Amino acid sequence: MKKILAIALVLVLACCVMAQAEPTSMALSVSGPANDQGWNAVAVAGLEATAAKFGLTTTIIENVGIADSEAVYRQLAVEGYDIIIGHGYQYGEPAVAVSEEFPDKYFFATESDCFSENGASYVMACEQGAYIMGLLCASMSESKIIGVIGGFEQPSITKELEAYKLAAAAVDPEIQVLSIYINSFTDTNLGYEAAMALINQGADVVYQVANQAGNGALKACEEKGVYCCGNSYDQNSIAPDYVLSSTIYNMDQVMITAVSSIMDGTFEGGVYNLGMDKNVVEIAPYHALDEKIPQEVKDLINDSIAKIISGELEIPVISTPTK
Amino acid sequence: MNEILNLIGSFLTSAVRQAAPLTIAGIGVAYAEKAGILNIGEEGIMLAGAFTGFITAFFSGSLFLGVLGGMAGGLIISMLHAFMCVHCKTNQTISGLALNYLTLGLTSFLFLLAFGKGSSLPSIAKLKSLPVPLLSKIPVIGEALFNQNILVYLVYLVVIVSCIILYKTEWGISITAVGENPGAADTAGINVYGVRYLMCAVNGLLGGIGGCFITLGQLGYFQEDIIAGKGYIALVAVILGRRNPVGILLTAMIIGFTESLQFTLQAKGIPLPSQAFSMLPYLVAVIVLLLSFGKGYDPSALGIPYDRNKR
Repeated sequence: MKKILAIALVLVLACCVMAQAEPTSMALSVSGPANDQGWNAVAVAGLEATAAKFGLTTTIIENVGIADSEAVYRQLAVEGYDIIIGHGYQYGEPAVAVSEEFPDKYFFATESDCFSENGASYVMACEQGAYIMGLLCASMSESKIIGVIGGFEQPSITKELEAYKLAAAAVDPEIQVLSIYINSFTDTNLGYEAAMALINQGADVVYQVANQAGNGALKACEEKGVYCCGNSYDQNSIAPDYVLSSTIYNMDQVMITAVSSIMDGTFEGGVYNLGMDKNVVEIAPYHALDEKIPQEVKDLINDSIAKIISGELEIPVISTPTK
Repeated sequence: MNEILNLIGSFLTSAVRQAAPLTIAGIGVAYAEKAGILNIGEEGIMLAGAFTGFITAFFSGSLFLGVLGGMAGGLIISMLHAFMCVHCKTNQTISGLALNYLTLGLTSFLFLLAFGKGSSLPSIAKLKSLPVPLLSKIPVIGEALFNQNILVYLVYLVVIVSCIILYKTEWGISITAVGENPGAADTAGINVYGVRYLMCAVNGLLGGIGGCFITLGQLGYFQEDIIAGKGYIALVAVILGRRNPVGILLTAMIIGFTESLQFTLQAKGIPLPSQAFSMLPYLVAVIVLLLSFGKGYDPSALGIPYDRNKR
């Protein structure tokens, strides 16, 4: 009798735990404006898609400075949000710190490198997208000089620039890659001037990894009649005749993966790498420039994407800049 | 040799492009400061100009109307500052800072209201480069100085006209008198409040053009905080250029020149951290400031509200 009672009790308890684990709300904290037509906008769209899929209520906190990230996490937890996501490398440490105070909530950071019992980091394999952009830019270059513009010199950006250089070398070892860090994610004018400097030195295809500031670079390429590649989402609309393709980050896939693991009870704290195989990173269609790109270049790109997905081609993550 | 000349030419082109908005906004500030109004709010004025200029051009389809709209935007913010400083006699630093934050929030909010959230960037066709016949063919400097958009030529005009107004006319003396000794100016029959309001208006109009330069002349779109600190750099140019239009133009050119130099050096693959390169324009500015140490001179009544009934 005691045994049955014990089992029943355990079952009831288990049910309680499971019922408690079913989250009903999620919150997102972003470092800039939500409508930046880039990095943050992608996260907001992801949040909305995920919430719709799982029927969650949501909130967004915009313009959170690095110093405030921990306070914002704590505030959202106190307000009762079950899943709290910080979008960017700088959210990693605060997520871990706060997660210990609220063991029944879930804390996520994108692009970070730390985790706890109920906190996890989801790293998007941006370098895979950058590698493909490198193949495309190097193949389309006639001057054999291509350029790339980075935002801040930090691991999540450097890994893209380095993968881009590797890809260019794979297409043609003679090709010269010019790189500039503008040390800003928001100063569009700097992005514009950096692209101008690259073009003046002979670069005839340019890729940008500088969020909002990079939009200025695309405009400079349009002005000078030079091909370019975008970042974060399909940026073809910024300069339809010149943006060949863009690296796309499907934040909705990242968030759905994270929330699903909570819903089905398989969630574990950790650092997860999500890439092309999970459809988290992909490249945008060529739009009107489709016929300008030779078939063998398209074949090379499709082939490389297939190899990355199958695991045959592994793109190294290099987080210190090489000159 | 030819290659080096080409490179210098492209530096100069970039320097002029970057100096133009700083210069025109800086000259606006110089007018206000010569009349005794300290204007930290230049960033806000430029941002307002950039926003209203873009919105007007976007919905009217006319870049000319866009520039006028930008001037109006700058004017509104600047007159708010003037009202606070001249009429309400508030602390001018605080008023300027408040306007910067107000404009940042307001333009972001209105932009969201007008275009909503989304991943497509609303944009317009930019001002085209207008090469001046003959002059643009001069080797090295021709392309840089005379193959730019119309706002750059407007900047040249403003520099020349401002030099004449400030140093060769009675108006210039009146403005300086109001900034140096408003009490004496008042006694001499100069309308101190009137001059200060007028100079703030000039500041707003020129700052608005500076803002338009970014949205209409260079990028063709608007985003939150698109000015990204250029208003503050314009203030630096004003101080380093000692409120002299030509001085402001030269300082702005040095900053622009160093910025494009640092990009070129970075792209050449010189093994230094990128942060060191990004620092370069400001380092040069500080060195220039140190070299001119002790020669700086502010109008005596700068930042001090004038009260007629007080002695």
